[in-house]
Amino acid sequence: MPRMASFFLLFLAVIAPSFAPLAPGQEPLHARMDALIEAKADGPLAAQSANAEFLRRIYLDFAGRIPTVDEVRAFLADADALKREKLIDKLLAGEEYPRRMGQVFHVMLMERLGDHKEWQKYLQDSFAANKPWDVMARELLNPSAEDQATRGAALFFSKRLENYGQNPVDVPGMVRDVGRLFMGIDVQCCQCHDHLFVDDYKQEYYQGLFAFVGQAQLRQGESFPAISEKPLTKKVEFMSVFVKAPKTVGPYLPGLKEVEIPVFANGEEWEVKPDPQKKIAGKLKFSTLKLLSEQLPTADNQLFKKNIANRLWWMMLGRGLVHPLDMQHAGNAPSHPELLDLLADELAARKFDMKWLLREIALSKTYQRGSQAADDAAAESPRASYRVALEKPLSSEQLLASMTTATCETARAKPDELQERFAKAFANPPREPEVEFSPTVKAALFYLNDSVVLGWLKPAPGNLAERLAKTMEPDELAEEMYLAILTRVPSEEEKKDVADYLAKHAANREIAIRNLLWSLLASNEFCMNH
Amino acid sequence: MNPLCKPWEHALSRRQLLGAAAGVAGSLGLSNLLHPVAAADMQKKAKQVLFIWIDGGMSQLESWDPKPNTLFGGPFRAIPTSVPGIHVSELVPRSAKIMQHLAIVRSLCTQDNSHSAGVARIQRGDPKNRGVTYPYFGSAVAKLLGAGTSGLPPYVWIKPGSSGFIHQDAGFLGPKFGAVAFGDGKPPENLVLHDSVTPADDDERNVLRAAANARYAKNRRKQVGEATSYVYDVARTLMKRQDLFDTTKFDPKDVERYGTHEFGRHMLQARKMLEAGVTFVKVNSYGWDTHGDNFNGHLSLMPKFDQAFAAMVQDLADRSMLDNVLVIAMSEFGRTPRINGHIGRDHWPEAWSLVMTGCGIKRGLAVGETNAEGTWVKNQEFDIGHMFHTWFTALGIDPAQTQYDNGGQPLPIAHDGCHAVKELLS
Repeated sequence: MPRMASFFLLFLAVIAPSFAPLAPGQEPLHARMDALIEAKADGPLAAQSANAEFLRRIYLDFAGRIPTVDEVRAFLADADALKREKLIDKLLAGEEYPRRMGQVFHVMLMERLGDHKEWQKYLQDSFAANKPWDVMARELLNPSAEDQATRGAALFFSKRLENYGQNPVDVPGMVRDVGRLFMGIDVQCCQCHDHLFVDDYKQEYYQGLFAFVGQAQLRQGESFPAISEKPLTKKVEFMSVFVKAPKTVGPYLPGLKEVEIPVFANGEEWEVKPDPQKKIAGKLKFSTLKLLSEQLPTADNQLFKKNIANRLWWMMLGRGLVHPLDMQHAGNAPSHPELLDLLADELAARKFDMKWLLREIALSKTYQRGSQAADDAAAESPRASYRVALEKPLSSEQLLASMTTATCETARAKPDELQERFAKAFANPPREPEVEFSPTVKAALFYLNDSVVLGWLKPAPGNLAERLAKTMEPDELAEEMYLAILTRVPSEEEKKDVADYLAKHAANREIAIRNLLWSLLASNEFCMNH
Repeated sequence: MNPLCKPWEHALSRRQLLGAAAGVAGSLGLSNLLHPVAAADMQKKAKQVLFIWIDGGMSQLESWDPKPNTLFGGPFRAIPTSVPGIHVSELVPRSAKIMQHLAIVRSLCTQDNSHSAGVARIQRGDPKNRGVTYPYFGSAVAKLLGAGTSGLPPYVWIKPGSSGFIHQDAGFLGPKFGAVAFGDGKPPENLVLHDSVTPADDDERNVLRAAANARYAKNRRKQVGEATSYVYDVARTLMKRQDLFDTTKFDPKDVERYGTHEFGRHMLQARKMLEAGVTFVKVNSYGWDTHGDNFNGHLSLMPKFDQAFAAMVQDLADRSMLDNVLVIAMSEFGRTPRINGHIGRDHWPEAWSLVMTGCGIKRGLAVGETNAEGTWVKNQEFDIGHMFHTWFTALGIDPAQTQYDNGGQPLPIAHDGCHAVKELLS
């Protein structure tokens, strides 16, 4: 790729001096990311984000909320040339980072199927300790009820082993989710036949994965999420609905060898025999979940490492290099194959240190690009080109935290109760991944008429509405309001509009302020991470 | 931009982006149909559906296929209708008088004998298993016909019980094709303007919101703005249509004609929804599972159904709406000819009836026949798949030319082993 190479050299010549001295060929990952993106951009790149835009974006991504007015003012006033990098490091070290990452992974792994205190604790603790992803994956795929610190991880399986409504346990759905969420492959169609138009996906993919996880069972009556496991004694028998020839497969992962199933005399399968009376789940000599947790999350498993690299890239950039995220196969090549390889390999080389990769992405010019193009035509550039920063929808968690931050209602808010309310209004239904922006009538009605949201717009001690009510100078009011809600100063035109509106409604100032606040909170600028 | 795109589909969805990944890059309006409904069809007067779901199983013997004076016929007589030669049960006298508008199918033979499986399978048209969850008829029509120009949601469900947004009906089409349910005729949460906001303030704050959005949209992709505008427009249109669900404002004469009972109220509300331009209105009636005391049960239930159903069909005919509104009244199965020890009838998917009229349907006929005792289908046996083919065809959607595109997976809109019933099509 001569074109890419020359661009690359040019890029190094221009940019390299501003970084700390590096050994040849050792330019930081974020610079290599940018080079690969720019080499394929095929059109004009949007300008770098303004400080305010970057500030809002990085807070939403790493703290899960917009910044406070004080945080905005401080950052905008800061003259330090390295202030972006310093803020990135501050947020990654901050206490909101584990909460935010816990939310991202909760939504990603559970897809609103349910929640549990121990699961939340597991996620928080894991991200607070910056636990490597391969370690987390091992704990999720083979949870240990004995280990109090990690046993909450069992929720990934236990929720999927519960009935939902009148429906039976969705075992195929559970098999599918292991493939989707840990390897980025959706093998649902392979339950009944080789995938019809994804040549890579064979029926053995589904059935081999089913052999690994099909023995998992829900453990009832525990205060924590827990599962047990039956012994796998023979291969899975299956037949394609198209080719009526019986086949069998044992535990098998794409790209690896099928596992031989050891033969035990009846009753000899157990290292520790289960005893329901004494609440002993038992321990198998041949545990397929243990095997899965050893075989799947490895640096050699291309699907595993690319999946997590792709998902972290999506979290930051709003589109997976492979998109949809669970469609890794030859017919759906990554938009930037070398970049995905690079991210996956570097992440694996760093022992799956997710915080490190997120930091590198945050430092990239690609991440820090503006979300506004030079003109309307340029705005409609292909999403996969990353020429313009992509808008990302706010999760219900981000929306709640940002609304209470904007209105200065965080102290009074009851987060658990409110989160339930917000999830009901804004989250997708269970089993619908929250990957794309999907506004709903339900959410609009919530914004328009929910009494809690409207309540935040009434003056109360210390809140934004009260502060604005006391601010008589319209320009000052406009600035305070825009900084609090949209993380930026208003334009002259916007200031004039605010002043005119307040003047028109001078007799009913409190309502006028409420209408202004509502309009900004309900605006797309607030509801998107741009 | 696809000329067939419907503004309300501009909400980004996973599946639309699946389409984009398959090489149709960037086109947000792309519909997930492989062969979209032809443009000429779209320009015709908007087609609508009224789907009356009689939950639990209406007895064909006490309604559309009476067998008086036979072993299993039960105590009720058959009466002549406005169409010579067609007789129905004496429990539906008003429907009998408008038989010239109706088409009865008496030869349904379907698969499911249980409510839990039957309701879903029948409303999904019982397609072949392809490892995906098919949409209910309402979601399918919402997808295939779109929301029209009413500004209202395309699929409204009026039922006893609770209100809400019922995403489950949509299956693989995705939550936005689900139903907006008006439980007991009441709107979902947050549909009434909050006490603290006057209508004038509501307008003002939304003008301010639109101005903020217009500024934000400059030099940005259009998708976000279009999608949010659409959902706010629908939300606000619904909020302003309190007349659709405020039963106290209904004309007393209409209330009298449709019936002062729950089903009558819900049917009247359904007519208002259809008049307001909702594409698909489903009305549920519960309590038809008459395993015990079937005859008293139907004696009580049928007149309520008959009254509201006949009033509805007459009103649609009087308003020249019948040519555009497809009306279907059906259950998940019929009831056993054999009368059990509790003087009840059990579930019977083997030989049962439904009734339809309106858009694209031939009127004044009965299709198919059961044997003398009503136990089995004698001729022209149809599964629910045949009905779906018939209904889609009646609505101008050719099931042979139209497929769903589920992220690249082509899926027929109706069972590919069935076909439309020609005798039923006008």
